Amino acid sequence: MNKKAIPYLLLLPTFIFYAVFWLTPVAAGMKEVFIDINGNFSLTENFKLMFQSELFGQSVLNTALFVAISVVLQYVLALTLAVLLSRKFKGAKTLMFISMIPMAVTPTAVAILWKTGLISDGWINSTLVTLHLIKEPISFLSADGFSALLLIILIDTWTVTPSVMIILVAGLQGMQKEFKEAAYSFGADKWRIFRDITLPMLKPSIVTSIILRLIAAIQVWAIAVMVLGYSKVPFLVERVAFYVDAVPGLETSRKLAFTLSFTTTVIVLIVSLIYLKVTKKSSAAGGKK
Amino acid sequence: MNRLNLIQKTVMSLILSAMVITVVVPIIFFLSVSFSNDFEMNQFPKNLIPSTSVTVKVAPTEQGLYEIFYNNGEGYRSIITTANPIKLETFFNRQFAVTIPGEQLVEQFSKTKENGPMEFKLKKDMFYNFKQFFTIATKAKSALVNSILVSIYTIIISLTIGSLAGYAMARYNFKFKETINVTLLIVRMFPVVGISIPMAILLINFGLFDTLLGLAILYSIPNIALTAWITSSIFVGINKELEEASFIFGANSFHTFMKITLPLAFPALAASSMYAFLTAWNDTISALILTNQNQTLALVVYKAIGTSSSSIQYAAAGSLILIIPALVFTFIVRKYVNQMWGGVEV
Repeated sequence: MNKKAIPYLLLLPTFIFYAVFWLTPVAAGMKEVFIDINGNFSLTENFKLMFQSELFGQSVLNTALFVAISVVLQYVLALTLAVLLSRKFKGAKTLMFISMIPMAVTPTAVAILWKTGLISDGWINSTLVTLHLIKEPISFLSADGFSALLLIILIDTWTVTPSVMIILVAGLQGMQKEFKEAAYSFGADKWRIFRDITLPMLKPSIVTSIILRLIAAIQVWAIAVMVLGYSKVPFLVERVAFYVDAVPGLETSRKLAFTLSFTTTVIVLIVSLIYLKVTKKSSAAGGKK
Repeated sequence: MNRLNLIQKTVMSLILSAMVITVVVPIIFFLSVSFSNDFEMNQFPKNLIPSTSVTVKVAPTEQGLYEIFYNNGEGYRSIITTANPIKLETFFNRQFAVTIPGEQLVEQFSKTKENGPMEFKLKKDMFYNFKQFFTIATKAKSALVNSILVSIYTIIISLTIGSLAGYAMARYNFKFKETINVTLLIVRMFPVVGISIPMAILLINFGLFDTLLGLAILYSIPNIALTAWITSSIFVGINKELEEASFIFGANSFHTFMKITLPLAFPALAASSMYAFLTAWNDTISALILTNQNQTLALVVYKAIGTSSSSIQYAAAGSLILIIPALVFTFIVRKYVNQMWGGVEV
């Protein structure tokens, strides 16, 4: 066998699979984006439709706010927990295990878990009243605008923080202690060591986990729909699901769903590329830890 | 070094306790809801631990009926007056999750005719919500089987195709390697919701619409790329000499791959299979688009959530069934996955 052909042979199943089951639907989807409702080719018609569609502006704004706030919040929390839990102390392993539980809870279950908490006679109000923190139950589920968005961010943070944390913990454990000790003997304080040694050495882990978070955060939708219902806190992909699931069958729904998912993908690609350019160390995003 | 003073220790314990409370309290309440009956669901404030029995007060009326009183925390309230065994059975079933036949209830209550009003402690069927979930969601049983099968198909497709690609990416230098790497990343970034609609048309053409294989193919799309990604990083680290030794003893490429490399790459395959499993097990929206009759369990639970918040305890029970296999699977492969992430001890 020709030696040069081996890698291509090994990649052949992947090529065939993606050619048939990925490229074909993606191409079909792209074609839909550039053919308007009347069946004519048009570069802009469907995008006009999208811009004029209900809640589109709101969904872009919400998605942007969600990505910015949730990624920062989850990062601060995950980094704090990772630094604390990678210290050697009694019970650290148990605490690590507890902190990872939300990772294993299925999204649908996460939605039910928080929904049973957020209803006005749910367990959150119940706990707050029992602890005398509030007098009257708060109706969380009737929240709208920014507070509803904040609610979704908090639920997402509960679910997602452990998966960010675990990548950082892995990075921290792989770190060589000698550097820290050397810095100590030169009289550096803890904060300086954290800023000038720990963080830079943690960079590959941080880059990997941020890129995974960004990709996922831009595509947020399921939690919002399952907890609050469609159109309460519109997101880009929530709109796609809305047109596919809630108002299917209409020709405009089809066009909007395709155009929105095309737009989302382009945004995901651009954001990821910008992030990789900024951090430069693109090899870290190749999945090698 | 690294000694903490008292203030730092206090701050650390505070942060960690807050973390434990935030994780554990919702989980306990969620479990509690799955085992609660209708009255407990409407009770406010709620108990952290659901009761295992129901206490009612029964008083006979002059018409020969039984008036049932229930204390919901604010004193006894009359809730039903009847002597009809079927009515009693249905009522205790629906409201209290007590599954005692109506005749037996009447028999027990008849003592009150001689003794006057009495209290009865009735045993609650703790698995009532689970049974009810399978009764209400008629497709749940077959959906459970479907979910398991789709997950297995997804794992098989992703791992066989993806690990071959991962091996090629790790071991060989060839033209377009960088392009292929980027393409795999792009494939993973594509929102699956967006592919699902044209995918439905494609699957109809292949005769695979509303089949488990069709769903597994869709779930394999991101997971083949992910498997290639994960396995290639492990294959890079596997000792090449072992493979070369195998060649010397006359094994061909394929044989070496199957006998030497694949077993060594087991942690990577375990991790990949976990991600493949979770994709197939957790998805709702693609299953909604690509199936009609052959629904998966996640979709059935998703539909059970509905829009109203009444009877949410049945959906909670359903989602608990959904979590358990995911937990078991995650627990089994956790060991290997930890090796992947540089040996994080959990």
